[in-house]
Amino acid sequence: MRIEKCYFCSGPVYPGHGVMFVRNDCKTFRFCKSKCHKNFKKKRNPRKTRWTKAFRKASGKELTVVSWLFDNSLEFEKRRNIPVKYNRQLWDKTVEAMKKVEEIKQKRQARFIMNRLKKGKQLEKEEAINEVKKNIHLIKAPHAGKAKQMEDKMVQKLQEDVEMGDSPGW
Amino acid sequence: MSSFNFRKTPTVIHKHYQIHRIRHFYMRKVKFTQQNYHDRLTQILTDFPKLDDIHPFYADLMNVLYDKDHYKLALGQLNIAKNLIDNVAKDYVRLMKYGDSLYRCKQLKRAALGRMCTILKRQKSSLEYLEQVRQHLSRLPSIDPNTRTLLLCGYPNVGKSSFINKVTRADVDVQPYAFTTKSLFVGHMDYRYLRWQVVDTPGILDHPLEDRNTIEMQAITALAHLRAAVLYVMDASEQCGHTLQEQLELFSNIRPLFANKKIFADLSAEGIQVIETSTLTEEGVMQVKAEACDQLLAHRVNTKMKGKKVHDVLNRLHLAMPAKRDEKERPPFIPEGAAMRRKAMEVDAPKRKLERDLEVELGDDYVLDLQKYWDLMNEDEKHDKIPEVWEGHNIADYIDPDIMKKLEELEKEEELKERAGEYDSDDESEDEEMQEIRVLAKQIREKKQLLVMESKEKDVHGPRMPRTATKVERKQLEKEMGNLGLDMSDKDDSHYAQQARRSRSVAVKRKRESSAPPTSRTRSQSASRPPRDQLGLRDPKMAKKAKKMMKNSQKGMNRQGRKGESDRHVFDLKPKHLLAGKRKSGTTDRR
Repeated sequence: MRIEKCYFCSGPVYPGHGVMFVRNDCKTFRFCKSKCHKNFKKKRNPRKTRWTKAFRKASGKELTVVSWLFDNSLEFEKRRNIPVKYNRQLWDKTVEAMKKVEEIKQKRQARFIMNRLKKGKQLEKEEAINEVKKNIHLIKAPHAGKAKQMEDKMVQKLQEDVEMGDSPGW
Repeated sequence: MSSFNFRKTPTVIHKHYQIHRIRHFYMRKVKFTQQNYHDRLTQILTDFPKLDDIHPFYADLMNVLYDKDHYKLALGQLNIAKNLIDNVAKDYVRLMKYGDSLYRCKQLKRAALGRMCTILKRQKSSLEYLEQVRQHLSRLPSIDPNTRTLLLCGYPNVGKSSFINKVTRADVDVQPYAFTTKSLFVGHMDYRYLRWQVVDTPGILDHPLEDRNTIEMQAITALAHLRAAVLYVMDASEQCGHTLQEQLELFSNIRPLFANKKIFADLSAEGIQVIETSTLTEEGVMQVKAEACDQLLAHRVNTKMKGKKVHDVLNRLHLAMPAKRDEKERPPFIPEGAAMRRKAMEVDAPKRKLERDLEVELGDDYVLDLQKYWDLMNEDEKHDKIPEVWEGHNIADYIDPDIMKKLEELEKEEELKERAGEYDSDDESEDEEMQEIRVLAKQIREKKQLLVMESKEKDVHGPRMPRTATKVERKQLEKEMGNLGLDMSDKDDSHYAQQARRSRSVAVKRKRESSAPPTSRTRSQSASRPPRDQLGLRDPKMAKKAKKMMKNSQKGMNRQGRKGESDRHVFDLKPKHLLAGKRKSGTTDRR
């Protein structure tokens, strides 16, 4: 029993699910659901269909083996063509190792995506600043507190004038 | 297209065709029918066996079953019918040569065909009989009269069918009533690497030949013609309903039939070999078989030796004995494997314990466990349940002899990365200013959305009036400006408040009479009223803005070439009647 990969969306195909199509050149294509199957029949390229994993990897939105040249955590899960005889010790170790590798892989993938999204935060900040600069008049009139200020200034000035008038020198 | 087969002869003819053509047409039909009948009848006649040409055993059997005379008569009748049909066809074809119209020829054809059909209709009973014969004939057992045969005979219900069931793979009906077997049955068995026929007959009762019925006659025929070893079966317990004495009497009555055949009797008699058997307990059955077969073989060999054909073969056979060159003994060499196998065949015991034996032994507890045959490094791991899948991953994809090494490297890398601070979360705490800005930005966005929604909700009836046409309430104005942060308390002596009061003191809005020209207007009044495009404008700056707004609102209309707001005419720039269709004469000049 194996969990296969869907040709179109690269999702898991569990046993008893999905459809397998065999072409005349003996190449088999598995699909996890009819959505993928129908897209395939329409001859759409999974590398250009935005919701598939193939697109995400091809356009650098997700961690791949090529993007980070030393990313070994993705090298562990590989389809092997030479069967290995069962050996309890080996199997036990493999299961443990698998769990650890999975952990590390998840961390790295999350980190990669976070880094990608950092730029967005920057842009957001700038946009907020721009917005405020341009449209502040919608919530606060430019002369909001200024009338009072002007009045105070006027009063002050008058007082000064009066003082000036009163000042000796005349 | 019609579903039945098309006629084999042409069907269309008209009366205006040339007469030879019409004649030929109808002659063809007559001849075609005659041909068909002739072929079919010939086939029947040739396919049925001629009683003189087949083996006398089968000839006799057929006579017994179907009555030779009746059979020959039926076939004869068919032959006659065939000839008659041929004659009819010949006559009518000759007549057709003198047919001078379509109608005449057609009637002749009709007559010919009719006569042929009537001839055949008269043969109905013969054909039915022959059909029954055919069906029965096809179901007769295939008995080869020349090969090694064992013939079972005796009173009804003595156990002949049970014997044949035991010895061969035949499955003959065995029932407690007499005459269960009503015809001959054949079974085959192997003995000494040769194929043997065993023929089961229906029982014979003790009365003279003339009184025998069909069923018994079959048995008699078999006895008479087949060169076989006859096994006369007797029932010692007399459960068949006849005493031993009667059975013996029957035996002696049938004896004349046994000329030049080997005889074996199961149980008692003089001068003839007797073997006790029981089909229930299976004792003696094999013995009988062996004895009968051996004796028959010997008999057959003897007969062959006495015959003439043997010499041809014997002349060509020569047994070469190599001359001894020294006194050394050279016995025949049989390899050990062959000797063991021969022994195993004889003893018939299995050499190793098969799965099947294990299954039989354990009965209900048996479980097919193929994992015990696996070839692994550690024997005790054979019955492990091997995990295949974990959380959506196939474990088989991770199996690698160096996996631990790789894991170590990976973990080291991970540690380095962590130390380098890659995994630290980086939300920088933002300063207060930025937070304020964010809050303000949010408010601005909300206000924008509100404005958009408000403008969508406005009912727009009638022409779009400039903003100044709508009267602005003082309260509304003060509320809005208050929301924006300006201080709107005691604004009684502001410009807008004074204007509002002044306009109230003047009379209520004059109704504009657009149709009637203002005849009562005095020149002074007209002079005092400022022109329309300067009404309501305080200063040149405002005037300029107003002019700009006017031009702006006209831009769209001008670009679309409209006369005004209400101009909704849609121009037909590419009329279909001028541009569609082929380039016919003259119509493309006016495009």
